[in-house]
Amino acid sequence: MAKQGSGSILQFAPLQSSVDEGFWHRLSSLKLNKFGIDDSPIPISGFYAPCSHPQVSNHLTLLAESLPSDSNDESTMPPVIRGNRNRCSVPGILYNTNTMEGFHALYKQGLLKAEAMKIWEDIHSGKAVEDCAVLSRVLLISFADLKKWNFHYWFAFPALALDPSATLVDLRPASQWFTLEEAESVSAACNEWRNSSVTADVPFFLVSIDSDSHAAVKHLKDLEACQRDGQKLLFAFYDPCHLPNNPGWPLRNFLALISARWNLKTVRFLCYRENRGFADLNLSLVGEALITVQQGWREQQCVPNAVGWELNKGRKVPRCINLAKSMDPTRLAISAADLNLKLMRWRALPSLNLEILFSLKCLLLGAGTLGCQVARMLMAWGVRKITLLDNGRVAMSNPLRQSLYTLDDCLNGGDFKATAAVRSLQRIFPAVEAEGIVMAIPMPGHPVSSQEEKSVLEDCKRLNDLIDSHDVIFLLTDTRESRWLPTLLFANSNKITITAALGFDSFLVMRHGPGPFNSIPNLKAETENSLAAGMDNLALTNTDGQHRLGCYFCNDVVAPTDSTSNRTLDQQCTVTRPGLAPIASALAVELLVGILHHPNGIFAEAEIANSSSGGNFELPLGILPHQIRGSLPHFQQMTLLGHSSNSCTACCSTVVSEYRKRGMQFILQAINHPTYLEDVTGLTELMRSANSFQLDWDDDIEVADDECVEL
Amino acid sequence: MDVLHWDGTLSAKDFRIGAFAFAQKWESCNLAFPPWSWLPCPKHPWLAPPEEEGYLSLEKICISRPNEEEDIDQISQIDTGEEETCCSRNEDVLDDATLVQSNHHELHYCDFHIVYGSTFRVPVLYFCAYCSDGRPLPLDEIEKELPACASKELSKKWTFITQEEHPCLKRPWYKLHPCGTAEWMKLLFLSDTANPKFEVVLELYLLSWFSVVGQVFGLRISLKISN
Repeated sequence: MAKQGSGSILQFAPLQSSVDEGFWHRLSSLKLNKFGIDDSPIPISGFYAPCSHPQVSNHLTLLAESLPSDSNDESTMPPVIRGNRNRCSVPGILYNTNTMEGFHALYKQGLLKAEAMKIWEDIHSGKAVEDCAVLSRVLLISFADLKKWNFHYWFAFPALALDPSATLVDLRPASQWFTLEEAESVSAACNEWRNSSVTADVPFFLVSIDSDSHAAVKHLKDLEACQRDGQKLLFAFYDPCHLPNNPGWPLRNFLALISARWNLKTVRFLCYRENRGFADLNLSLVGEALITVQQGWREQQCVPNAVGWELNKGRKVPRCINLAKSMDPTRLAISAADLNLKLMRWRALPSLNLEILFSLKCLLLGAGTLGCQVARMLMAWGVRKITLLDNGRVAMSNPLRQSLYTLDDCLNGGDFKATAAVRSLQRIFPAVEAEGIVMAIPMPGHPVSSQEEKSVLEDCKRLNDLIDSHDVIFLLTDTRESRWLPTLLFANSNKITITAALGFDSFLVMRHGPGPFNSIPNLKAETENSLAAGMDNLALTNTDGQHRLGCYFCNDVVAPTDSTSNRTLDQQCTVTRPGLAPIASALAVELLVGILHHPNGIFAEAEIANSSSGGNFELPLGILPHQIRGSLPHFQQMTLLGHSSNSCTACCSTVVSEYRKRGMQFILQAINHPTYLEDVTGLTELMRSANSFQLDWDDDIEVADDECVEL
Repeated sequence: MDVLHWDGTLSAKDFRIGAFAFAQKWESCNLAFPPWSWLPCPKHPWLAPPEEEGYLSLEKICISRPNEEEDIDQISQIDTGEEETCCSRNEDVLDDATLVQSNHHELHYCDFHIVYGSTFRVPVLYFCAYCSDGRPLPLDEIEKELPACASKELSKKWTFITQEEHPCLKRPWYKLHPCGTAEWMKLLFLSDTANPKFEVVLELYLLSWFSVVGQVFGLRISLKISN
């Protein structure tokens, strides 16, 4: 292969940078924990090795070890790495600024000159001959934006520019320059040099060949001895570049050393390159360069020009890398949560529909013992959009049982529960989209004055809007009557409603059936995507009440009334055994996930758990009951089924159609007149006929008190 | 230990023995790749590290096929205002002795670490991928590089990629989740009709393990070693 025409300017392939992610992590840690706003220059070490692949050049690499340690010890220097054949150290310096403006304001030419000066001084003092690693240096400027995790950086590999530039006399593969014997000997000598931990990382050396074709590798300081023996002499260096027609960058400063220190005009050099850990003389190059006498180069004061700023795809601009994915804690939390759910899907539940959970919008009415736990369980299942509605403030006794609050939320009269809950959710998982609404729910049996009427109507409207904008509602309040209006509104719009209610030592968790106005959809044509199906089929013919599952009020024979006045003390504080709320909340959320995975969604039939069905489920999540009633004294749980009632004060067709006809006026009437709902639904009539029925046995048989169970 | 009743797992000490056996066999027979190195990973850096704690490392394996078109524009994030201020100050960036290279083939590399996972008591393969300038590659880009057959492996029960903190380097790396490893390692050895001694099992453990997980990345071990 004939080589470059003689007399052409010797062109060097620039070094290319490679920064391991660990370097940026270490720099961030140093900045945050050790340096703070101190922007003094930081000593660093770069690493490179001879080219090891015929088509790919080696880069000058920065790793975490390139920086001083970020632990609490005193060291301000990067660790010294010696004897590693794949990591030849390059001393360097890092200027990391505190602002973007500071980064641009750095006087780059000045910094480059300063580093070049160090090399020049080492050449003249003789240090470069003793410790040739200092012939190469790395200069790095950077700006670490630790809010967005953007790292702007720019490398320079200072090279002393010969003026005029050296010319190339000859350049060819080493195997074509050496004789066969010489080549064998050179390879052996170089391999020995590379395998000894003393010399493996010494990147500049001499190769001398005697008249017997025997090659020896020597340190630079042995130059005079080699010259005296009159043997063939080559100036060798580890060449990271792979190109067949150009030597690598480190040769530049090597030539500067040779010219300034030893005043040689003709330099025969060896670009040492490897393949699979051994010297490769086909890839390695031998060349001859001609150096013109540099004006004043023997004087130390006359510092040559320096070049070496790295181009970015051919342009004179810095580089930028974004590491938010691996450094931003919020991104890491999100990705960990996602992976956790995906792991569940992969290992245990292949039909898990995570997309539905991620996009679901849940409205929680009540942010107390039930609300806090339900919110947490929803987040654990991957639900991100949670709205909490509560008009109360956090009281001193709350943090013990309401798992989103701490003492801080109780101070100064107590924060609003809705706001404190949202704050808490965001602290647990920053990516949650939580909203808190401080509002009271209008309730029947709590009449309002005419002045309050307007604001009550606004609240009703607001509740309606909330229901429109959410997919699922959880009724988690502490009174029966507060559940009435939401139940009616949801029955009207056929959205998933889940109720949890606590007694002292028992609980009820149930899913409301669909509203009265829908046709049971063609189940086979139903796709999994439509949850609130039936909204399109707004036929006024109501379904047969017996097939529709009931709501919370369907079993009641009295309308919701004011249950809060005239209560005894223990009735006023919702006193329950602490274990109940977590159990009921957890079941409520699991029930929701079951509904979401049932092909019929809200229209799903109810299933009852019994011993014979153990383990053999049609659906992977198991059965989908209508109601779960649990009792702590018995450590027992039952699944029940209740159909809707034609006289239900909340969801029967009479009530819902009255609401549709008269809207807010109907609501106001129900709120202000306690018996209105009973009249409308015919309950009043039912009670009257029941009372008028003569019971003969009333006088004769004593009904024991403890056999009467109050609902 | 009776191999018939073995549960497919390894102790930390056995892992180290197995790791060295694996590295030796690899180096002697697998000439296409560089050798594995053992790097220490002390749990408490201020104490003298016990011998056991460490991991196998194989770095800078090129995983991409040379692709001329791939030239992801890294500087798209920088606004043009920055470019102007830089240029005006930069007289001496280039001189006539600097070769200007026109084409930049973007190659992708992968680092592999075999770390002992104490939860499941099996080896775990950690990996990360990056471009030649060090910019890390996200998982979806890595998956594009994996050979076609690997995607079948990925959907099988024992290869699931998660992202977790590397136990020694303390930053996120990808790993093949190890929860199924013990199961199929046990199957691998029990399906062999000869009843091997545990010492033999240990010597071949990592080799057999890697012959499965390595396929995700198209790293094949030559058949010579399997004897």
